[in-house]
Amino acid sequence: MIREITETNQEEQGKTLQRGRRRSYGRLRPLGGVVIALLLWELLSVSHVVNEAALPTPTATFAAILSNSGKLASATLGTLEAWALGIVVAAIAGVIIGTLVGRSRIADAATETLVRMMRPLPSLALIPIAILIAGLGLKMTAGLVSFAAFWPIFINARAGVHQVDNRYLESAHALGLRRLELIRRVVIPAAAPMIASGIQVAISLALVVTVSVELVGGTGGLGQFVLLAQQGNATATMFAGVIVGGFLGWALNAVYLKMIDRALPWKSQGERS
Amino acid sequence: MAGANQKGRSALLRISLGWLGLVVLAVAWQLAATAIGKTIFPTFTTSIVAAVRLVTGHILVSDILPSIGRTILGFVISAIVGITAGLIIGYNENARTWTGTLFDFLRSLPTPLLVPIAVVIFGINGHMVIATIVTAAIWPILINTANGTSSIEPTMLDTAKTYGLRGKSLFLRVVLPAASPQIFAGLRIALSVSLVVMVVAEMLGGGSGIGYYISNAQQSFNISGSYGGVIILASLGWIFDSLFLVFERRMLAWQRGTVGGMIDA
Repeated sequence: MIREITETNQEEQGKTLQRGRRRSYGRLRPLGGVVIALLLWELLSVSHVVNEAALPTPTATFAAILSNSGKLASATLGTLEAWALGIVVAAIAGVIIGTLVGRSRIADAATETLVRMMRPLPSLALIPIAILIAGLGLKMTAGLVSFAAFWPIFINARAGVHQVDNRYLESAHALGLRRLELIRRVVIPAAAPMIASGIQVAISLALVVTVSVELVGGTGGLGQFVLLAQQGNATATMFAGVIVGGFLGWALNAVYLKMIDRALPWKSQGERS
Repeated sequence: MAGANQKGRSALLRISLGWLGLVVLAVAWQLAATAIGKTIFPTFTTSIVAAVRLVTGHILVSDILPSIGRTILGFVISAIVGITAGLIIGYNENARTWTGTLFDFLRSLPTPLLVPIAVVIFGINGHMVIATIVTAAIWPILINTANGTSSIEPTMLDTAKTYGLRGKSLFLRVVLPAASPQIFAGLRIALSVSLVVMVVAEMLGGGSGIGYYISNAQQSFNISGSYGGVIILASLGWIFDSLFLVFERRMLAWQRGTVGGMIDA
C-alpha cells in the first residue's frame, strides 16, 4: 500500500489515470490464464492425446459437480470436520510447547535432532500404524492430522521465540514482567508472524493428511468420494471430487490469510519497512 | 584462541544434547511399550531389529531402492521444470499475472486426491508414483524461484545489461545465482514433500516400494514390519535432508559472509 502510494505520487496525474484503466484490464488477465488452461484441458481430452476414459472434458467435470452436489457437500463437510479438529489441537499444542522449548536453552538443544528427524518424516507413513492403534474413525484421522500439523507450528514457534529482539525482553524485564506474563505479552506477540506462517504451512499439510487417511482408510470425506468414483470407473465424478478439493484448499488458505491480516497488522508492516 | 575453543565445546555440547533427546525418546518408547505389553505397540528394540532386517533382506532391492529411485527422479524432474518455469514467471511480469490464479488453485489441490487419477492414466506402477510426486513437489520450487527472481535488485540487472549480458548468459550468470538462496529453500521443502507423496502414492497403488510394504505389513498383521518400515522412512528423510544441506552449503559457499552479518562461519 505504502509503496504504491509513493509510486503514484512520483508519477504525473495522467499516468495515474492510465494505471487505473490498466488495472481493471489487469484483473481480467489472471482469469484469462484459467480460461486458457481450461481450453487446453478440453483440447487434450477431445483430441484423444490422453486416454479418453482417463480424462473427461471440463464440461463433463462441471456437470458431474452439479449432479453430485449433495454428496460432494457432505463429503466436504466430513473432510472439514476432521481437518478442523486436527488443526486446532495442533495449533494449541504447537504454540505452547514450541514457545516453552524455545525459551529454555537445554530443552531447545535436546529437541534439535528430534526436530531434524521429524521435519521430513512423512506422517502419512504412520497411517497404517494409526489404524492399528486407534482403528478407523474420526478420532484416528484427527489424531494423525494433529500429529502431522504439530511439527511446522512447533518448529516455527520455537524459531520465532529465538528471534525475539533482546531489547524487547530487556525493557519488559526492566518494567517488571516475569515468566508467564513476559511470554504472553512480549514473546508470543513478537514471535507471532513466524507462528502465523507455521500455521499456514500446517493448514495445507493437515488437508493433505486428512484426504490421505480418507483415501487409504476409506473413512468418508472427499478422499473416499474420489476413491469410490475411481473404483466405479466414473472418471468425471472423480475429477469433480478433485476440483472441489482444490477449491477447499484454496478457500482455507484465503480465509486464513484474511484473518492473519486482521489479527496481526504489525506483520505486514514489518515486511514493508 | 580460547574463545574458539569454547565455541567448539558449546557446539559439541549442543549436538550431544540433541542426540540425548532422541535417546530419551527411545527409552520412553521402550518403557511405555513394555508397560502396555500389547502386540500393536511393539518395543523400540523390536522395531529397530525389524528395520535392520528390512535393510539387510530382499526388501532392500524389491521395495526400498525403488522408492529411493522414484523419490529422486520425481524430485529432479520437479527441480528442472520448477526452476525453469519459476525463472520465466519471476522475470516476466506478464507471465506472472496470467498464471497467478491458475497456479494458486493448482498448488492448493491436496495432492493425494490426484493419486486415483494418476492410477487411471498410468496404471499401478512406478511411473504413477513419479508423476504424483512431480505434481506436488514442483510448487514450492516454482514459487520460491519466481519470488527470488522477481525480487532481484533492478540495479543489479541494469548493471549486467550495461556490461552487455543478454539472454542465456544474463540468466545463467546473474539471475540464477541471485535467486539461488531462495531456490534452495524451495528445493529443501520439495525434497521432503517428494518423500511424503511417494509414501502415499505407493500405499494407494505403487505395486512395490516402501509405502506399499508398510500398508501391506499392516494389513497382514506384520506389526513389527510396519514399525520397521516407518523407522526406515524417518531415517531416509533425515539422510536426504542432511545430504541436501551439505550440497546447499557447497553450492552457496560464495554467499556466506555476504548476508546476515556473520563473518565467522
